[in-house]
Amino acid sequence: MKKWERIAALVFFLIGLGAAWEATNIGFGSFQTPGPGFYPFWLAVILAVVSFIYFLNNLGKDSKVVALWEKKTWVRPLLAIILMLVYGLLLDRLGFLLDTFFLFLIWLTVIEREKPLTVALVSVLGTVVVYILFVQFLQVQLPKGLLF
Amino acid sequence: MGAFEGLMHGFSLAITPTNLLFAFLGTLLGTMVGVLPGLGPAATISLLLPLTYALGSPVTSIIMLAGIYYGGMYGGSTTSILLNIPGESASVVTCIDGYQMAKKGRAGAALGIAAIGSFVAGTVGVIGLTCMAPPLSRFALRFGPPEYFSLTILGLMLAAYLTGKSIIKGIVMVILGLFLATIGLDPVRGNLRYTFGTLILQDGLDFLTLGMGIFGIGEILSNLEQKMKAELVTTKIRNLWPTVKDFAAAKWAIVRGSLIGFFVGLLPGGGAVIASMLSYAVEKKSAKHPEEFGEGAIQGVAGPESANNAAASASFIPMMTLGIPGNPAIAMIFAALLIQGVIPGPLLIKEHPDLFWGVVASMYIGNVMLIILNLPLVGLWVQLLRIPYSILAPVIVMICSIGVYSMKYNSGDVVMMFIFGIVGYLLRKFDFDLGPLLLAFVLGKLMESSLSQSLLISKGDFSIFFTRPISATILSFAALMILLPLISKIVKGLWKKAPGAAV
Repeated sequence: MKKWERIAALVFFLIGLGAAWEATNIGFGSFQTPGPGFYPFWLAVILAVVSFIYFLNNLGKDSKVVALWEKKTWVRPLLAIILMLVYGLLLDRLGFLLDTFFLFLIWLTVIEREKPLTVALVSVLGTVVVYILFVQFLQVQLPKGLLF
Repeated sequence: MGAFEGLMHGFSLAITPTNLLFAFLGTLLGTMVGVLPGLGPAATISLLLPLTYALGSPVTSIIMLAGIYYGGMYGGSTTSILLNIPGESASVVTCIDGYQMAKKGRAGAALGIAAIGSFVAGTVGVIGLTCMAPPLSRFALRFGPPEYFSLTILGLMLAAYLTGKSIIKGIVMVILGLFLATIGLDPVRGNLRYTFGTLILQDGLDFLTLGMGIFGIGEILSNLEQKMKAELVTTKIRNLWPTVKDFAAAKWAIVRGSLIGFFVGLLPGGGAVIASMLSYAVEKKSAKHPEEFGEGAIQGVAGPESANNAAASASFIPMMTLGIPGNPAIAMIFAALLIQGVIPGPLLIKEHPDLFWGVVASMYIGNVMLIILNLPLVGLWVQLLRIPYSILAPVIVMICSIGVYSMKYNSGDVVMMFIFGIVGYLLRKFDFDLGPLLLAFVLGKLMESSLSQSLLISKGDFSIFFTRPISATILSFAALMILLPLISKIVKGLWKKAPGAAV
């Protein structure tokens, strides 16, 4: 894990440096009259320092090579991430109900490999229940889009 | 108003039909999400936050949300015992002995002792809340900006130290959380900070979007790595009432668990998760037969399950009296109070006695409701566990989306939540604990404003934090926290160097 820990530390260190630099652009002010960048500047500096210590704590070699994702365990999370992002981006265009229907359909088929009957049942029922519960009963405003 | 009169007044509010109904709904929902793995009380409360706008009444809203929190503590044990998967994170340690008991045909006794312990501890916690909150909030009236700044420092330090395995990683998360809170308008002058010219970042990040993203969505992504394979102990659950022998074995575990839970719950940064783990460790250390732990020791169920309930009740104390929420779930209730226009802090009890006493009284009633929901009706919850997780995951994604969308009616927030989900997933991958991040985010605004107000008072002199007695005391506790591990390391090092020392 040490190699990965060092990479994480490095990322946080760079975030700290970048944020500190940006803070001076926002306006550091002075100790007597702190500017808007004063507080974030010190946070960023502390972040960089702490990440540096974190980096030093993880020097040395791993006893054995550790993969962050064993075998193909990254496949399903990655599919889910893509699916969710597309779902979010299409929310306004397709409308909540249609978009959610497709979310269920694709999620259950591609990620969970459920049987077609289960997929169809859950997708239709799920969408209908959402409509009744949230739109009709609780009167939540959801993106309308193509349907309804 | 004295504590007794206050409580009586509270009961008169809590037993109105509407409030009883919402207390029941809250505890029912809490038990449900406690039972369902992958959906915790924090995420559920955040989901229902937008609905509290519609409820209108702050008392009723908070009664329901509080019910979800302490109800979740009851429900979590059921899943741990029957499925060996924690229903929510405060029941992780219950798996160890609870599942072993279930495998040996003693599921009933385990569920029973968990519910009874939860009831006892929950009630102890509320009694503590009744007695301690009013004097504490009177004391906190003396706090000015420097005291609050010191308090946030102490709280965040506790959060970093108590939660994860690595202190340095905890501190990284705290700073990151504080940092995320600075995005958007600067509270003093209104300058834009870290928005990178985008419109969506101008209002700053939203607590709900962040919380649901890193907790709700992040958790789902982590769970997707492996097929959730769960073996439900399906033998018929009989004898929910533990035997006299069980009681004798568990009674001190319940008492100890209640006390540990209460005090851990009081700490800013403490909460049900840590309380349950600490209680398990104490039970194992103090047991006559420590070898039974891991093989189905009833103390290993009774202690942690009591502790998490006591902690849940106790964590209302710092939130309601100081305005410092100690854990993610209570931070959600903190957010709910703000939505209702109530500012949690030392003035809360004085200015909103109805709210405070109504909620406290409802917690006594809620505990009674919960033991009824969890003892005779446990079979019902077991049925809930037959829902496969594969179906649950997209449902949670959908519910989180509704929750975030209905806040500002902006689908950009939904995408933002998913992005935080990815961040949360990656941070989990690197073994970062996300609780401190969320707490730091919540306390970030208070920290910055109390810092800049203090520096205004003192004209830029940092000694203001050390010369005011209360602030200095709080800070010295914080300093002690940094020094203790260092000192113990040095002492241990000296021991090792000393010749002939047994290590």
